[in-house]
Amino acid sequence: MDFHSDIIRALHQQTRRQFLKQGSLGLGALALTFLNGGCSDSSSKGNGIITDQNPFAPKPPHFPGRVKNVIYIHMAGAPSQLELFEYKPELLKLDGQLCPPSLMEGKRFAFIRGIPKMLGPQAIFNQHGESRAWISNLLPHLSTIADELTFLKAVHTDQFNHAPAQLLMHTGTPRLGRPSLGSWVTYGLGTENSNLPGFVVLTSGGNNPDAGKSVWGNGFLPSVYQGVHCRSDGDPVLFINNPSDIDQEKRKSTIDAINDINRLTYQEFKDAETLTRISQYELAYNMQITVPEVMNIADEPEYIHSMYGSNPHESIFANNALLARKLVERGVRFVQLFDWGWDTHGTSEDGSIDIGLVNKCRQTDKAVTALILDLKQRGLLDETLVIWGGEFGRTPMQENREGKVNPFKGRDHHAEAFTMWMAGGGLKKGFSYGETDEIGYSAMEGKVDPFDIQATILHLLGFDHERLTYPFQGRNFRLTDVGGRVIKEILA
Amino acid sequence: MKILHKNRLIATGLILTVLTVVAFLLFPEEKIDYNSQVKPILNKHCISCHGGVKKNGGFSLLFEGEAKAETKSGHLAIIPGHPDKSEMIRRLTSDDPEERMPYEKPPLSSADIKILRKWIAQGAQWGIHWAYLPVGNPATPDLKNNDEFRSWGRNDIDNFIYEKIHAYGLTPSPRAALPILARRLSLDLIGLPPPPDSFDSISSAESDTLMDSFVDALMESPHFGEKWAGMWMDLARYSDTKGYERDDSRTIWKYRDWLIKSFNEDKPYDRFLIEQIAGDLFENPTEDDMIATAFHRNTMTNDEGGTDNEEFRVAAVIDRVNTTWETVMGTSFACVQCHSHPFDPIKHDEYYKVMAFFNNTRDEDTFDDYPVFRHFSEADSLNFYELKAWLHQNADQKKAREIQMLVQTWQPTINSLVSDQFVNSELSDTKWLVYRKNGSSRLRDISLDGKNTIIARFRSFKPGGKIDIHIDSLTGSKIASYSFPQTDGRWDYAEIKCLETPGRHDLHFHYTNSNLPDSLSNGIMFDWLYLSDGFPGKGVSGYEANKEKFWQLMKINAFQTPVMLENPPEMHRQTKVFERGNWLTQGETVQPGVPAFLELPMDNLPNNRLGLAQWITDPSHPLTARVYVNRLWEQLFGIGIVETLEDFGTQGIAPTHQALLDHLAWKFVHEFHWSTKKMLKYIVSSATYQQSSKSASEQLEIDPQNRLYARGRRMRLSAEQIRDQALVVSGLFSEKMYGPSVMPFQPENIWNSPYNGRKWVQNSGENQYRRALYTYWKRTGAYPSMLIFDAMPREVCASRRISTNTPLQALVTLNDPVYVEAADRFAMRMLKEGGNTPEEQISHGYYLMMCMPITEEKLNILINLYKSVKNDSLIKTVALRETDKNDSAHLAAMKIVANAMLNLDEFIMKN
Repeated sequence: MDFHSDIIRALHQQTRRQFLKQGSLGLGALALTFLNGGCSDSSSKGNGIITDQNPFAPKPPHFPGRVKNVIYIHMAGAPSQLELFEYKPELLKLDGQLCPPSLMEGKRFAFIRGIPKMLGPQAIFNQHGESRAWISNLLPHLSTIADELTFLKAVHTDQFNHAPAQLLMHTGTPRLGRPSLGSWVTYGLGTENSNLPGFVVLTSGGNNPDAGKSVWGNGFLPSVYQGVHCRSDGDPVLFINNPSDIDQEKRKSTIDAINDINRLTYQEFKDAETLTRISQYELAYNMQITVPEVMNIADEPEYIHSMYGSNPHESIFANNALLARKLVERGVRFVQLFDWGWDTHGTSEDGSIDIGLVNKCRQTDKAVTALILDLKQRGLLDETLVIWGGEFGRTPMQENREGKVNPFKGRDHHAEAFTMWMAGGGLKKGFSYGETDEIGYSAMEGKVDPFDIQATILHLLGFDHERLTYPFQGRNFRLTDVGGRVIKEILA
Repeated sequence: MKILHKNRLIATGLILTVLTVVAFLLFPEEKIDYNSQVKPILNKHCISCHGGVKKNGGFSLLFEGEAKAETKSGHLAIIPGHPDKSEMIRRLTSDDPEERMPYEKPPLSSADIKILRKWIAQGAQWGIHWAYLPVGNPATPDLKNNDEFRSWGRNDIDNFIYEKIHAYGLTPSPRAALPILARRLSLDLIGLPPPPDSFDSISSAESDTLMDSFVDALMESPHFGEKWAGMWMDLARYSDTKGYERDDSRTIWKYRDWLIKSFNEDKPYDRFLIEQIAGDLFENPTEDDMIATAFHRNTMTNDEGGTDNEEFRVAAVIDRVNTTWETVMGTSFACVQCHSHPFDPIKHDEYYKVMAFFNNTRDEDTFDDYPVFRHFSEADSLNFYELKAWLHQNADQKKAREIQMLVQTWQPTINSLVSDQFVNSELSDTKWLVYRKNGSSRLRDISLDGKNTIIARFRSFKPGGKIDIHIDSLTGSKIASYSFPQTDGRWDYAEIKCLETPGRHDLHFHYTNSNLPDSLSNGIMFDWLYLSDGFPGKGVSGYEANKEKFWQLMKINAFQTPVMLENPPEMHRQTKVFERGNWLTQGETVQPGVPAFLELPMDNLPNNRLGLAQWITDPSHPLTARVYVNRLWEQLFGIGIVETLEDFGTQGIAPTHQALLDHLAWKFVHEFHWSTKKMLKYIVSSATYQQSSKSASEQLEIDPQNRLYARGRRMRLSAEQIRDQALVVSGLFSEKMYGPSVMPFQPENIWNSPYNGRKWVQNSGENQYRRALYTYWKRTGAYPSMLIFDAMPREVCASRRISTNTPLQALVTLNDPVYVEAADRFAMRMLKEGGNTPEEQISHGYYLMMCMPITEEKLNILINLYKSVKNDSLIKTVALRETDKNDSAHLAAMKIVANAMLNLDEFIMKN
């Protein structure tokens, strides 16, 4: 069996002495003393009933990884690669012409019906850095760090609707029900700070991603591996704050009393589950102190706020970018950012290439750039993997719905070719992999799919994606299903 | 488990070695057993390259026929009786690394090879996996002469359990203390804590009789059905929303209520299944039979704009196949979707034969979840019965039934979303057909035989619109023309006369309207069309009045439940094999049929879903009863006799007590006649179930996982039980049953689906305190505190929840306003009912929680907590009046104590 089958067994057994290893200060120490000395002989003989298995204990991967943490920035709705990274002068020449039927044959589109017209780039492109990467004027900040980035220019997927495509990107299937990337990673690696959740999700843009909480769901993995959605309104983590009339001192007295009685219960029944519960209450107490502290960005220095464009009084993407750095710095394994509102069909002002996309870039460009620079200046970029992308790309054609002309410039969903980028440890910096044809319609070289990206992320963390598995419904499942190739070409 | 396993392995290994040696010396013909000796070797070393997925060298070991056939090389891998001539043995023992199997892997042990040789020498007889063999009635182990057993055992279950406990040198545990047992029984059978005084001052002599009636009382409680419906709702992937991106509401709670009622009336399990799988195909289905079929309408519907409705219809059908096999037959049938089963003898095309049973329902991923059953109010029902009676008198049977079905279900209609060839028209939001100025579209291949009337559900946005319908092309002959009234966007119904035309034709619709201001404005939208030969009985007395009734019923805004309904013959879909599971790559056409591996043919049964349901519930079906009694066992003991509830195949975990499982399955079918209540009573009456859960160190040593059942099993309560229990002891609990799902307190911003305006609107009054299973369940944003306690999101069928123990759970019961309110109310209850001193009050509270008196040690801890918080500066500022029970400092301190009490391990757990 695999190295993690012990965890599964431990979870089934419900016999975990969780977190005690790390929680050896304060309240945790009490429990530890109790465990080692205070309780009856049966637990100290190492007969298997009390294991050291903690579902979040840091665990070695299959081989030494290049990075320890992941920040995945998903622009939900699918940003247009043709306005950001794909410079296609040929497309400009074709602007306004009817799309040749050869491009339409045998293709399925979400909304395009009939023959659409080609739409030239709606941005100005320049080359940046020593790598001479093409980045448009919509991303002036990111342009300054072009040499930190590793582009995947020929990503393709087989899903052309938002929810299924997001699910495929994050869970390896277009249907609901499988664990997300962050769940697999925390299942495989554990986390380094048990006072914080191992897998944190931050959302902005006014809506959850189209596929809902399932994109950070634990699927069939135990629920401990579910992403914890940290919120900008109310409790940063659900139920982390005490009721108004309970202060931390009273909370501590309460937990002490609960655990004192639970120790009596343990003496009576000798159920290791009770010991686990004792330590979980200690940990809950620690989290109540740590989480609000980490989630509070008001204490960050002014130069950091101006670097990110963050503002503690608003609910914006920039705050989440800053939080992502803070969380990684504190040992959170996987931070998932979702920003909603990148779907630019041209049916409305917000949902357009000419206005909506420009605004979305303004809201995020500075913060994304700041995140990379901030990680770098703290020496964290080498051990962190940052990924930026959408669930698919956008068509070189202007959207057309049976002759109905949309009021704004817009592009339909496009599954055949789009751009994503990565930055951080283990990658060739200032590098671009993959090419599309002269109008950015089809991937020509260096084609990669979501499974390849997942396999590569797992590889950088030290996992063979074919061996990170979990048994469910009678078979061993893995994130990459039956696909996945590590994109060795981009590895340093 | 580790230890047990190791011991067992060593023991088994030793015994086997000894036996083999002895057998070899004394009985050289000792018979090799395929299932226990050969299949494990094949599964481990051979089948991943020579099985259902890969057949390297043209050789597969999955089916006997294939294994004994000629391989690609022309050799026979297995020649029964001749191990030395068998290519398989030669390759296993070859010295050439290019030839030796397993390829590029370590060779098989000589012991394994010996077994294979001998098996071939003895004729290479194939065996059937234990779970695929018919259920027998195994002999109960005879323990008459065992004194220890006689003083412990209560029914035959205990014979099976004791035999194994004894073999491992353990002794069973005594019966749990009565209050503990009362709480265990109550939580297990009705999911709620018992009345605390159930077992007060009962002598042990009286306890047996009392226990018996206590169990009966629990079984008769209406809450019994709620608890067991909860189990089934995970399997049925019950949800109040449709899933995927928009995850909009769906009203399907009548199915949840049907489940509760079915468990309460102890509907025999075979009937329970047949109604859910095929209730719509009964001769005269009742409203309840129809609601039961909502079981398979809990599949997801995708409302996201731009999605291919056929793709998600197919996804729903596949989900029905997989769910049926996992839920009812514990088989990982989903594997067979893409290829033959890698480990179990199921062929690829057999998946699609089963799918063919499910592939002809009317659902097409429509926004309104058609087909639906339309529930009538009392007044409407009266109208309906009058109409029915008139039709009976004045129309032929077939026509009467047709009208009845149309009124009750609006079926079989043609959904407008199957249209194509759109010109100045489109599927609005990919859901409804919409025409603009001079718009047209096509409906393909429609049977027009005998049809002279079209009923259309439509809404129009401008006056003056007209539709012409042509056959075969836009310029083909016109069979109908109709001018539509304006409805200001409301849905309405039109009755359109059309020319009777023989045969099947494409219908081309052409819309014109001179009142549309521009080419972008929508003129009219269609939901569905219904073609018929009109309302019967023209000229007969009552025709006008009853046609009026018919229209009234068609138009009322009835409450709807999605149900299963079969396609009429003219709408029949063919089912094809999907190559490698891809619905866009279709292979040969298949007919409905059941897989061969269970060796239970479908003779004399109708070749439709009803026949399939009857096949599944055939008393000699090897899996159905075994899988169900194993589920019941798991609900009571926290782990199944077969641990993998979802997989009884060769890759599942073998049963710990196979004979007991068969004993239970046999009794369930042949003695209890599929009665869930009788089965449960039988199990909970056993000494095995009633044991104390205190662990002796010897038991922990030998059997840490408690797979021998020498003690009771402590289990954490389910997400639902934890909530319900807190509400019950605090006195907040509402016993109200049934009805639409409710929205108790939920933190802000849990729901945030795009393009979905729905909001969580907190209920007022008792609906805030209903049982957890009535909580509105949204797939992509499920009730957070229950998810934290391991509830399933119910996106797909889930056989078991894996119980976890996390700090986030502690935060729920400490801080979730639901639990804070429960603690506050619990404190008030202690003050009100518990006497005068904090000691008395806390003791009373503990008794309410645990049904037994509190020990002095525990009381002291809580009193100390009480004192420390009461002396706290915050609370001190309030004047202390010790004698006044409603003293606010006293109450404030008691609230904190109550919060601690509701968080105790023994309260969250079942002892």
